[in-house]
Amino acid sequence: MKGKKTITRRDFLKGSAGFLLASSGLATIPCSARAQAKTKVVVIRNVDVLDSNSEIKRNVLQAMLDEAVCTLTSKKETQAAWKSLFVTTDVVGIKTNAWRYLPTPKELEALVHQRIVDVGIPASNIAIDDRGVLDNPVFNKATSLVNVRPARTHHWAGMGSCLKNYIMFVRNPSAYHDEGCSDLGKIWTYPLVKGKTRLNILCALTPQFYGRGANFFDRRYVWPYKGLIVGIDPVAVDAVGAELLLKKRIAHFGDDRALDVQPVHISVADKKYKLGVSDLSRIEIVKLGWQEEVLL
Amino acid sequence: MTDIFRSLLVGILLMSLFVSPCFAYSKQEAGMNVTVSWLSDVQGWRPVSELSPYNSNTIFQHMNGAAELYLAFNFRELKTTKFEKHARPSIIVEVYEMASSEDAYGVFTFEQQDPGAGIGQGSEFGGGLLRFWKGRYFVTIFGEEPGVDIEEAILIIGRRIDASIRDSGNPPKIIGYLPDKALTFSKKDAWFLRSHIHLNQRFFVARTNILMLTQDGEAVLARYETKDGRIHVLLVRYPTPDKADAAVASFRNAYMPDAGPSGSVKTENGRWTSAARLNNFAVVVFDAGDESSAINIINATREILKKEGL
Repeated sequence: MKGKKTITRRDFLKGSAGFLLASSGLATIPCSARAQAKTKVVVIRNVDVLDSNSEIKRNVLQAMLDEAVCTLTSKKETQAAWKSLFVTTDVVGIKTNAWRYLPTPKELEALVHQRIVDVGIPASNIAIDDRGVLDNPVFNKATSLVNVRPARTHHWAGMGSCLKNYIMFVRNPSAYHDEGCSDLGKIWTYPLVKGKTRLNILCALTPQFYGRGANFFDRRYVWPYKGLIVGIDPVAVDAVGAELLLKKRIAHFGDDRALDVQPVHISVADKKYKLGVSDLSRIEIVKLGWQEEVLL
Repeated sequence: MTDIFRSLLVGILLMSLFVSPCFAYSKQEAGMNVTVSWLSDVQGWRPVSELSPYNSNTIFQHMNGAAELYLAFNFRELKTTKFEKHARPSIIVEVYEMASSEDAYGVFTFEQQDPGAGIGQGSEFGGGLLRFWKGRYFVTIFGEEPGVDIEEAILIIGRRIDASIRDSGNPPKIIGYLPDKALTFSKKDAWFLRSHIHLNQRFFVARTNILMLTQDGEAVLARYETKDGRIHVLLVRYPTPDKADAAVASFRNAYMPDAGPSGSVKTENGRWTSAARLNNFAVVVFDAGDESSAINIINATREILKKEGL
């Protein structure tokens, strides 16, 4: 039986199918990738960002976000950093995530919104939305997008990723479920979003590393990582986020759960749709702030 | 009975059909006991709505991606509701009707991890989530926040639903077709599967369906712990020997084109994979310490199937 070659477990054992098994010690990094330029992802943490009731301290979060964007853009001043991402004539959609158990924090949405206003973009040209993006007039005429969502595992896609967060830009999300949602990257090629994303933020203040069932939320598997993962390249941000979740699962469960639900959509977004870099060896992870149990 | 009285009675009955969730639910459930209602107050938590039904076309409205797990296990219908109590977290109840007890068992065991609760034919309770299966029903009851009172209420609702289900059923027989006592090492876990997506969630084999699993077929994946490391064994039942043959050929072509005539190959991690067809079954051993260990497991499986007349 001859046919198109499929990715198998043996490709991972050889180290030729992407980043996913690298951290579990089952794969090696492909040598051919090592000499290429790296894409930057900033991981910033602050032990004080959550108070004793797990409420977000807005001023601490603001400082984290600003430092991350400055580092990412290699700018010293906050406003200059944000201005390097937008122009005053931009119409900006902030694509958030409204999943009720672990939504994008309102504080983070507001901070992103404020920084875009500070660039000089009128508030009327900025919108925050998730499930209503297709019918949102600002999103429909958006010239720029900011993608901000919590990092968590996902039952079918492996990870609730920045890439996956754009599934609300299609009318038929279930059409993208095949093969573990492997084709989510395709959505990023549609005119409504193509080339518009200026910033991707995986909120890792309290990421979820495991879940089950329809509700999928289990407070036993959420931990106070107190971080943000920020980058221009959505694939690289997701690759780092997936690595974080993988490391946490290994630390928590032992290696039994390390291979569950591989987020193949991340490597497919790289290899097939050329949306960014999924190979961790080609990602420069800039770690700022609190380093205890950083895992990366 | 006067016409006026008859009209009044019909009116009351019709009204209760729309207003009372108990009646609306119990009257129409095949496999559920019409005399036992669970949609009533539990320690102050009250059902806030009638049961919302979802079928295979509408289930994505309720849970999006997670629906694929249930659909692959031959999902038929979901009914869900919420219990609320003033100033306390909500309780979400979901009753899934699957095509068979094997499917309900499959959904339940696929993600099982917590201690049992003595409810239904198999249950677990942890992290505010009660899951159990009985007959062709799979039930989850989830408390949105922790608390002793809410956990008590969850268990009471669970026992009521358990009592209302008339069905009972058996776990899939295929679970027992993989060797255990015949080996020198122990079977740690076993999962009943219907699709290659299920398989990949427990043990990634290939991105595409190289073993030709179908929803009307069945499979079991078992994990064994040995002194030489972990071995996974997959047994798949096909409708005919021809289909089993085609699946084994497909697997060998995609996964082990370098295998020798014995049907075994040493993979990149230094361990052995072996595949064989046994009548209308395919068996694959992954990561055995050596070739003879892999073949021993296949032979032990063959003996079990022979004893079962398969």
